[in-house]
Amino acid sequence: MNLSINNLVKSYGGKTILDQMAIEVEDIQVLALIGASGSGKSTLLRLIAGLEAFQSGSIKVNGHTVSEISDVEYRKKVGFVFQDHNLFPHLTIMENILLVLEKVHGRVREEAILEVNSLLNQFGLIEHADKRPHQMSGGQAQRASIVRALAIAPELVLLDEPTSSLDPILTHEVLNAIKLLAEQKKDFVIVTHEIGFAREVADYIIFMEDGKIIEHGTKDILLKPQTQKLKDFLNKVLTFVNEM
Amino acid sequence: MKKILSFLAAIAVYVLLFYFVSSRALEKTTDYSVYLNYWRVILDGWLTTIAISVVSLILALVIGLVLYLMTVSKWRVLKYLSEIHKTIIFGTPLIVIAVIAYYYIGDAFNIDSKFWVGSLTLGLYIGAYISDIYKGAIESIHQNQWQTAKMFGFTKYQTYRYIVFPQVMTSILPPLAGQFAMTIKSSALLAYMSTNEFLNSIQTIQSISFRYPEGFLIIAVGYLILTVPLIFMVRTLEKRLNYKVAYESIN
Repeated sequence: MNLSINNLVKSYGGKTILDQMAIEVEDIQVLALIGASGSGKSTLLRLIAGLEAFQSGSIKVNGHTVSEISDVEYRKKVGFVFQDHNLFPHLTIMENILLVLEKVHGRVREEAILEVNSLLNQFGLIEHADKRPHQMSGGQAQRASIVRALAIAPELVLLDEPTSSLDPILTHEVLNAIKLLAEQKKDFVIVTHEIGFAREVADYIIFMEDGKIIEHGTKDILLKPQTQKLKDFLNKVLTFVNEM
Repeated sequence: MKKILSFLAAIAVYVLLFYFVSSRALEKTTDYSVYLNYWRVILDGWLTTIAISVVSLILALVIGLVLYLMTVSKWRVLKYLSEIHKTIIFGTPLIVIAVIAYYYIGDAFNIDSKFWVGSLTLGLYIGAYISDIYKGAIESIHQNQWQTAKMFGFTKYQTYRYIVFPQVMTSILPPLAGQFAMTIKSSALLAYMSTNEFLNSIQTIQSISFRYPEGFLIIAVGYLILTVPLIFMVRTLEKRLNYKVAYESIN
């Protein structure tokens, strides 16, 4: 994936969330956005998804200029995994995925079912295909939402803190599913608090604070941080993990 | 078993209380013969009440949807028009609206059919309440779902058709059944525009036979036959909605 961001400004009701952000990365597969809560990571991901408008600047993904809310065709090629699985509660897992494939992508139902079955099988969810989201654990539902994002054969998958609402055991289960994404050579951007996981799967890392990029580079920046802010952040995270 | 016994006991207490009041208030002899003689008129009136209620509810469902869509419209004129209509309806007794609708608006547009003026009036009246039922149900759909639909590329129509309405339909069924019971009861007020519905047909017999208490009892029973099943339906539907409650408790 190639990502180019220039002078990006996003504010809500007078409060600046992203402040003159700029970065250029080329030919990477897994990009991780890390930083404390409120640093603007999720907002940046939503802007990359074309879900929200921004005040000024530009975002280019694989050469395509993301032009905020009206960019339906672009969004059809991007899979998104939300913080809470966001599966539609009135539909089974199979129906949740088929609805997108049939109605948005115009796929033939019978073919789509075969593909979805194969994906559900890969992610260990085949026996849950006919369950509604509330009949599954949080981890299973989140894995199902990863399958939904993958089923549209996306050019890029965006994951917004996919494990933040899960307990450690379910987190492990979902992280394994995301590793499967990496093994399948899918390009993805992940916002995460799981620093160890970021180090394991990401080939590029962006550290943000207060709407600005403080440090970025290969996973080595997690081992040898150059800025005091990243050092402090990693210390806090590691202290927290050790205390657990 | 305990539940059934308690229920039967409650019924017995209610019947005793009713008997006590009626034995003091009514004449000792009751005579339903005149009502038996006019059973055809009464049945016609009762069926007309059902027909008016069904037609009014169907009209109200459409009018309610139109009013809701006007409320969320980009055009402020439509939004204000809908708000003005609802404010007038919420603040005016149905009987006043029924009389004005029949004697003045119906006259002005040369609509003679009491059935249609009555049904339309009720439809416009109940529609205002139903529009608020739609509003509450649609607004209860979590913001996340709208956003997910947008992210996956659903059009606005598809979002409403496949994601919002199927969920709204289940959650509005209990209040709608309640509203239907309300429509049936409200239709009695159309007697004031001389529509030959249930209340009016009984009142006509009362006025020729002077058997008032018997007539009122028949009226009460006639409406209860229609509304009690609806009340039970509301309760059953509310129980069936538990999947939604379960979902919300997870989130």
